[in-house]
Amino acid sequence: MSSVPLSLYLALALILFCIGLYGALTKRNIIIVLISIELMLNAVNINLVAFSKFGVMPSITGQIFALFVMAVAAAEVAIGVAILIALYRNRNTVNIDEVNTLKN
Amino acid sequence: MENAWIIPLFPLLSFLFLIFFGKRLKDASAYIGILLSLASFVYSLLVLFERFTSPTHKAESVWLTIGDVQLTAGFEVNQLNALMLVIVSLVSFLVHTYSKGYMHGDERIHVYYAYLGLFTFAMLGLVLSPNLLQTYIFWELVGLGSFLLIGFYFYKDEAKRAAKKAFIMTRIGDVGLLIGMILLFWQAGSFEYDEIFAAVEAGAISSTMITLTAILIFIGAMGKSGQFPLHTWLPDAMEGPTPVSALIHAATMVAAGVYLVASLFPLFTASETALMTVAIVGAFTAIFAASIGLVQKDIKRVLAFSTVSQLGYMMLALGSAGYVAGVFHLMTHAFFKALLFLAAGSVIHAVHTQDIEKMGGLWKKLRVTGPLFLIGTLAISGVPLFSGFFSKDEILIAAWAHGNTVLFWLAVVAAFFTAFYMFRLFFMVFAGESRTDMKHVKESPSVMTIPMVVLAVLAVVAGYVNTPWFGTFLGDWLTDGNPALGHGHIEGPAWIMIVATIVSLLGIFLAWLIYSKRSLARDWLGASTLYNVLYNKYYIDELYEVTILKVTKGISVLLRFIETFLVEGIVKGVAGAVSGLGHVGSKFQNGQIQRYGTVAFIGVAILIVVFTVTGGYLK
Amino acid sequence: MNVAYLSILVFSPLLGILALLLVPKANESLIKIVGLLATLPALLMSLVVFFQYRTGASLASFTEEYKWFQFGDPSTLGDLFSIKYELGIDGFSLVMLVLTAILSTLAAIASIYIKKEWKGYFMLFLLLEIGMLGVFAAENLILFFIFFEITLIPTFFLIGKWGYFEKEKAAFSFLIYNGLGSAVLLIVIMVLFARTGTSNIEGLTAIIASDSQHLLLSAGAKMGLLVALLIAFGVKLPIFPLHSWMVRVHVQASPSVVMLHAGILLKIGAYGIIRFGMGIFPDQFQEIAVVIAVLGVVNLLYGAFLALVQIDFKMVLAYSSISHMGIVLIGLGALNEAGIQGAIFQVVSHGLIAALLFFLVGVFYERLQTSNIPNLGGMAKGMPITAGFLLAGAMASLGMPGMSGFVSEFMAFLGLFKEMPILAAVGALGIILTAVYLLRAVLGITYGKTQRDFAGITDIRRAEWIPALVLMGIIVLIGVYPSVLTEPLTSTLETIMLGIGG
Repeated sequence: MSSVPLSLYLALALILFCIGLYGALTKRNIIIVLISIELMLNAVNINLVAFSKFGVMPSITGQIFALFVMAVAAAEVAIGVAILIALYRNRNTVNIDEVNTLKN
Repeated sequence: MENAWIIPLFPLLSFLFLIFFGKRLKDASAYIGILLSLASFVYSLLVLFERFTSPTHKAESVWLTIGDVQLTAGFEVNQLNALMLVIVSLVSFLVHTYSKGYMHGDERIHVYYAYLGLFTFAMLGLVLSPNLLQTYIFWELVGLGSFLLIGFYFYKDEAKRAAKKAFIMTRIGDVGLLIGMILLFWQAGSFEYDEIFAAVEAGAISSTMITLTAILIFIGAMGKSGQFPLHTWLPDAMEGPTPVSALIHAATMVAAGVYLVASLFPLFTASETALMTVAIVGAFTAIFAASIGLVQKDIKRVLAFSTVSQLGYMMLALGSAGYVAGVFHLMTHAFFKALLFLAAGSVIHAVHTQDIEKMGGLWKKLRVTGPLFLIGTLAISGVPLFSGFFSKDEILIAAWAHGNTVLFWLAVVAAFFTAFYMFRLFFMVFAGESRTDMKHVKESPSVMTIPMVVLAVLAVVAGYVNTPWFGTFLGDWLTDGNPALGHGHIEGPAWIMIVATIVSLLGIFLAWLIYSKRSLARDWLGASTLYNVLYNKYYIDELYEVTILKVTKGISVLLRFIETFLVEGIVKGVAGAVSGLGHVGSKFQNGQIQRYGTVAFIGVAILIVVFTVTGGYLK
Repeated sequence: MNVAYLSILVFSPLLGILALLLVPKANESLIKIVGLLATLPALLMSLVVFFQYRTGASLASFTEEYKWFQFGDPSTLGDLFSIKYELGIDGFSLVMLVLTAILSTLAAIASIYIKKEWKGYFMLFLLLEIGMLGVFAAENLILFFIFFEITLIPTFFLIGKWGYFEKEKAAFSFLIYNGLGSAVLLIVIMVLFARTGTSNIEGLTAIIASDSQHLLLSAGAKMGLLVALLIAFGVKLPIFPLHSWMVRVHVQASPSVVMLHAGILLKIGAYGIIRFGMGIFPDQFQEIAVVIAVLGVVNLLYGAFLALVQIDFKMVLAYSSISHMGIVLIGLGALNEAGIQGAIFQVVSHGLIAALLFFLVGVFYERLQTSNIPNLGGMAKGMPITAGFLLAGAMASLGMPGMSGFVSEFMAFLGLFKEMPILAAVGALGIILTAVYLLRAVLGITYGKTQRDFAGITDIRRAEWIPALVLMGIIVLIGVYPSVLTEPLTSTLETIMLGIGG
């Protein structure tokens, strides 16, 4: 069975992570920021799974961690969207520039 | 003599006591000053008599330790010191007494006496000093006393200016003295006079160095003794109370320069150049100041210029290796000039003006002051039988014998000028008709006249201690046991005495013709250029104004520009850089998580790059 | 014997701070009394040490040493890289301690002119005193640095809150300059610590002295460290052109603060240069001695010329401080016994004289609300005693014999004339200029026609007599009997001269 080399998985994860990072740092819409964060988390998951299969010491731990990350990501999205909805009800916007009340 | 150090302490006590408690004493403070100055005079007299029979006494203890070097302070009683002690304490005592009358009613009389005490203390301390450092210390303190007394009428702008000028001009000279003294210290390894002389004699100091230090020290003497070109403060110093002028600016402090040169005489004689410098400056000052004195209108200024001129004589004497002549003239001058100033003070006290053109005919009104003034005038003019005649004669002989022919003739001309302007002064003040209202003119009280009488007696007899006719006691005694000071008496041709007499009589006769008999016009110089130049003192003050003062101001202004633009510029730069950095930093703190995230990410990225490139800290 | 004597001395003002916490905010007189009393223990204790030392007691018994903290593993490194809490004094630092204690007490008296928030003022004031005392008692560079920083912060607030019109600006420029200076100093300390493993001053001196082969530090590095030290302390001293902050502070801060600032804080610069620059890097110091002397002459003349054209008396005094610090540098540049002793004398003497003059500024500013020379003319008429003190202070400042200024000036020039006569001759011009600018300013204030109405204005009185008389007394004492200072300094000087090898 010809296998895909580790480097390609890592490259894919890197690309995904960069796209996510770019989105998280530049987009003004909070929903898109949240989605971007999901992208980054998924990039991490790919890395974890890839290492669990092709790493120096292959073991199941990586996949378990990937499952953990998914669970934490689901919780995070739930809380994030909850805050977002509360915010939308208060401010009538999902634009991140207008949510800087922490500054003052 | 072991206790001679106590002499300066009497006036110091007077100073301290009056400065702290004088306010309550008011007029009584005068008695304290008088009594304490009398005490130091009596003690000085005792020391002098003791010195006739016993040798030089010197005692010192450590004052300041610098590493291995120990600087000492102490006192020394040699012939010169003992003589100066008596002169200073006597004149000081007389002036203290005289001031009782002159300053009567001044509400700050205790301050006046305190200052007098300070000055007398410093002057006596100066006289007793056995080393250059101590001399310098008291030298400065003397200047302080003079400064305070010139500025005694502090609320007058002229007094303020005069005090400031006196301090600064003498300070210029003092720096010369300081430099000379320190250079000498590093050459001779000591400030002690004895050791310096020993080093000079042993040839341990190069001749250039001797000349340099001697001239630098002479600059100090020039400042104090009002020698050209540092003379301009002395006439202005007449803003002080007149008794002060008598004490400080005639008899004692201004003579300190002469005294300094005399104390360091072996150093000067070791360098012909230095000696010549002293002689030339002295002779030039003598004639220069005398020429100015010809036309001045202020009674005290005439006397001031005559002081400058006489001090020039003394310098000429010392510069011509005439140690005895210089010291002798210093002594006689102290008496007759103090007399003249006190008499002038008495006149001013009576008529309340210093302008001689407003005086006249006072002979009848001031029956005591008049004759006393005449005695002083005769003495200074060098009329035979008076003290000035003998001492001036010694100087002329010294100059001639030393081969300074040109300087000798300058001195002769100056002697003619002196006789002329002194009698011009005398005739204008005392002879003829009074030119203003003289109804209220009264003779001064006896507390003022008695000191003058004492001085007048001395102005006559002081000359007889050293005459070619009866014996040169003073000279023999002064140079006894110290060959470095030259011979006690210098033989000179007899015609010098005759010339000197003729010249002074001629001057008197001319003054009489013009100012008393009026066969010649009074304004014989008219408003000519010469008159203006003389009256304005050769415009020396103005010259300093446009040169030194302007330059100093200019540098200051220039530096202020540097300060405002360059240094402050640096400040602005530093401040700007700091606040600029702050601004840049605060740009990141805009409250947006995303910006923070970006910064954090970039930071991490940079760290990783650095880490991979350098291979980590552990490498 | 003396367990923690120095610590108690240094931290005694802390008592006052605690006591002040209990005093109500509005009770002005009580706050002032407590503040004044809190400075007394340090004064008494330092005087006791001083007289014990004069009667022959050894200063070594005062040394304290406690473990503080350590880097690395003690079992392998031993004493290396450990920082100890070390206090100790020698003759020089003892003199500075006494000076600090005296001036603190007098400045506390002069604080009667403080108009608001006395509680905060005195708490900061006492904190500042702790810092100053600590700086002179510290035997350890790190400890020194900590105390050095402690002086910085209270001073910043004291200037910025209780000063005159442009006080904030002055406070900030003080902080920026001194902060930069401290940063440089910290770098030097860290480099030395990292390279030698000790921050004890004596230990460092010994290590650097034994490192003539430049194994620990290259010759260039040593020179670099010395120059950095000079910059760090040059800001404090201040050395031209790092001085402009100091002019502002002198003009804007309240007189009592300036008394301490001009009297002690500037002197920390000189202390540092002598203690660390000259003490730790004697060989390198010798190499740049000429530069130091030239800087000294520049300082002297630059300050004097600028003082000549100032209209505000406080500006005159500020520039005169710059000018007088030039004499310190001149003495140090001479690098012989006379010069160094002169420099130390000048440090003490200028501390006293500057404190006196600024105190007098406080006295008349309080009454007349101006320090503008033309506006003050003829003060001797209205306030004769103040004017008298002012004149006496000016005389001391311009080096009148019989006062401390002369002794220091004389020795500094005596030293320099031996090494560099021509430079010294140029510097001697400064002596004339000093007389000119001081007389111009002081006579402008005291003499001349009265410029204003003095009716209802009282002369110096009651508590104000104390600082004026005490300072004047010490100035005259040192001037007449300089041995009072030379004897404590002998051992310090010998150590320094040994380091220089002269």
